[in-house]
Amino acid sequence: MKRIEDYIGTAIYTTVLLFAGLFLVMPMIVAVVLSFDARSFLGAFPPTEFSLRWYREFLSDDYLHRGLYTSLIVSTIATLVSTVLGTFAAIAIDRGRFKGRATLEAMFLSPLIIPTVVTGFAVLIFTASLGIMDGLTRLILGHILITFPYILRTVLAVLSGVPKRYTEAALSLGAKPWLATIEVTLPLARSGIIAGAIFAFVMSFDEVAVSLFLSDPFTYTLPVALLTQMRASLNLTIAAISVIFLVVSVLLILALDKLAGVETLTGRGVYGR
Amino acid sequence: MDANRLLEIQDASKSFGSTKVLDEVSFSVAQGEIIALLGPSGCGKTTTLRAIAGFEPLDYGRVVIAGQDMTLRRPYERPIGLVFQDYALFPHMTVGQNVGFGMRHRGIPRREIPERTASVLARVQLDGLAHRKPSELSGGQQQRVALARAMATEPEVMLLDEPLSNLDASLRLQLRIELRQVLTAAGSTAIIVTHDQEEAMGLADRIVLMKAGRIVQIDAPADLYARPRSRFAAEFIGEATWFEGILRPKSSGMALETGAGLIPIEGRSDLSPGAAFGFCIRPERISVLLAEDAPLFEGADTRLAGEVTYVERLGGDVRIWVRMVDGASAQVSAKNTSVILPEPGAKVWLAFRAADGVLLPPVDTKERVR
Repeated sequence: MKRIEDYIGTAIYTTVLLFAGLFLVMPMIVAVVLSFDARSFLGAFPPTEFSLRWYREFLSDDYLHRGLYTSLIVSTIATLVSTVLGTFAAIAIDRGRFKGRATLEAMFLSPLIIPTVVTGFAVLIFTASLGIMDGLTRLILGHILITFPYILRTVLAVLSGVPKRYTEAALSLGAKPWLATIEVTLPLARSGIIAGAIFAFVMSFDEVAVSLFLSDPFTYTLPVALLTQMRASLNLTIAAISVIFLVVSVLLILALDKLAGVETLTGRGVYGR
Repeated sequence: MDANRLLEIQDASKSFGSTKVLDEVSFSVAQGEIIALLGPSGCGKTTTLRAIAGFEPLDYGRVVIAGQDMTLRRPYERPIGLVFQDYALFPHMTVGQNVGFGMRHRGIPRREIPERTASVLARVQLDGLAHRKPSELSGGQQQRVALARAMATEPEVMLLDEPLSNLDASLRLQLRIELRQVLTAAGSTAIIVTHDQEEAMGLADRIVLMKAGRIVQIDAPADLYARPRSRFAAEFIGEATWFEGILRPKSSGMALETGAGLIPIEGRSDLSPGAAFGFCIRPERISVLLAEDAPLFEGADTRLAGEVTYVERLGGDVRIWVRMVDGASAQVSAKNTSVILPEPGAKVWLAFRAADGVLLPPVDTKERVR
C-alpha cells in the first residue's frame, strides 16, 4: 500500500525532472524554430512567418563554405590520425607490462583537463617555433591533440572488458605478438575504436577555442567562421547551421549506439563475460 | 632425445616479492604420459603450468621440451597447446576459425587447414559445428572446441588449466572420461592442473602433488592413495583414519602402541623403537565387527575395540564414527549394502590388516621430491 507521502514525493521528483529536461531542450527548440524564421532581423519569438532563407543563405555563403571545407578536412584527418595513434597507445597501456604506465596514461589524457585556450596558445607557439606557418597543418596538429584523449579513453574502456587470456591464447597457438594484436585484440576492441572515432570527430568538428588560435585569415574552421560572422552581424544563418549540426550529431550518435551499444561507453566490453 | 623425458622441469623457482611461489620444482614427463599437477590453491601448480607455457618467466631453473631448452623462448616459440580454464575461445571467430588459428600461425599449408580442422573436430565429436560461433555452443561443447584448438597443431605437450571446473557436476564426469580417451587416442603428452583429487585420479597416469611451491610427492594415483609419504598427502587425497602411538619392540618385529591398542608393524627394520608415529589407514580398509562376531572374522591382523558414536548414511556409502577406548575418534566407511549397520552405542571391533596402512612421522619433512 502506497502512502500519501510517497505520492507527493513522486510528484515533486517528476516535476523537477520535467523542468530540468525542458531547461536542457528549450534552447535547442528555439534555435530550430528560429532557423525557419522568414524575417530578415532577429525578432521576437515565435516567428510570424516561416521560410528556408537562412538555409539558402548558408548554401550561398562562400565564407562559410570555406570554413565547412576546412573543418571537414581538419576533423577527418585529425580523427584518422588520432584513432590509429590512440588505439595503439591504449593497447600498449592496457596490455603492456612496463613502468610508468600510469604516468603515460595521465600524460596522454592531459589535454582533457588543460583548458583549450591554453592548448590553442601552446600549439600556436610550439608550431611557430618549429617554423610551421601553414594554417591547415597547424589546425590538424591541434585537433589531433584534442581528439587523441577521447580515442584513448574509449579504447581503454573497451579493452578493460577484453580478457588478456585471449592474447595469451593467441600466443600459445603460435601467433607473434603483433599478429595476436591485429587478429584478436583489435577485432575485440572494434566497437570501442569506432565509438572513439565518432566521438573524436564530433569533438573536433565543434571545437572553437583551439581553432581560433590556430586559424589564419584564409584557413579557418566552420565554428570559427560562424563566430566571426556573428560578431560582425548577428543573423540567423547560425541557427540554420546549428540545426544541420544537430541533425548530423544525432545521426552519428544513433550510429554510435547501433555500432557499439551503450555498454561500451560505460566501460563494459561487448565480449566480456 | 629420451622418450622418458619429453618434458623436463629442472629446479624451477620463482618468487613474487618475498613469497616463493615455486621452490626448486623438478619433474619430468614421458612421451604420451598424462600428468596431473594437484594441490590446494596457491600451491604453485598454475604458476608451473604458465612457466611451461612461457607466460611466467622463472627466476631460475629450466624448462626442456623434446631435448630443447625452452626457458628463454617466448610462448609462441614453444611446441605447446594450452586449454584455458574458461576456454578463452575467440568470440569473434567461428569454431572452425578458432581451431584453424593455431595451424595458420604454426605454418601448416593453407589448403590442408580445412581438412585438418574437420578431422580434429570429429575427434572431439563436434562434426558439423565449424560454422557456429562459440557463444552458440553449450559449456561442454565449448570445452571440446578449446581442446580441439589446442590439439590441432599437434603440439609436443598439451597443457590444461582446470579444464573441467567450469562444467556442471554431471557433465564433468562424462567429459572427464572423454578427455582421457581423446588425449590417449592422440598419444598426447599432457599436463593437467587441477585442485580436484578425483579429477587427478581419473585423468592422470601420475600425480605431482604440490604444496606451498614444492612438490610433496610424485606417484601413480593408486600408490599416492595407498602409500602417502606425508601427512599432507594422506589428508589431501581421500580420507584417512589415524592412530597415533609409539613404536615398541615385540617378540617378532615391532608394534605401534596406540591408545586404542597394538598395531603390528612388519618389515620396517629401518625404524627404531621409541619413536612416535601415526598409523594412517583408509576408512574403507577397516571392517566394523559387532563384538559377538569378532572371533569369527579372518583376514585381519589387528583388532581395536571401540563404541559407535554416529552413523552417517550417504546414499551409496555409509560413514561410521567410532570412539576408541582412549577417546580418540576413528572413521570407517562401507558400502550401503543390505548388511545390518551397527547403531550408535554398539560395542564394536575395528578390524584391518596393518599392511594396508602406512606409518608416518608426526611432522612432515621438507625433503626435495623429484
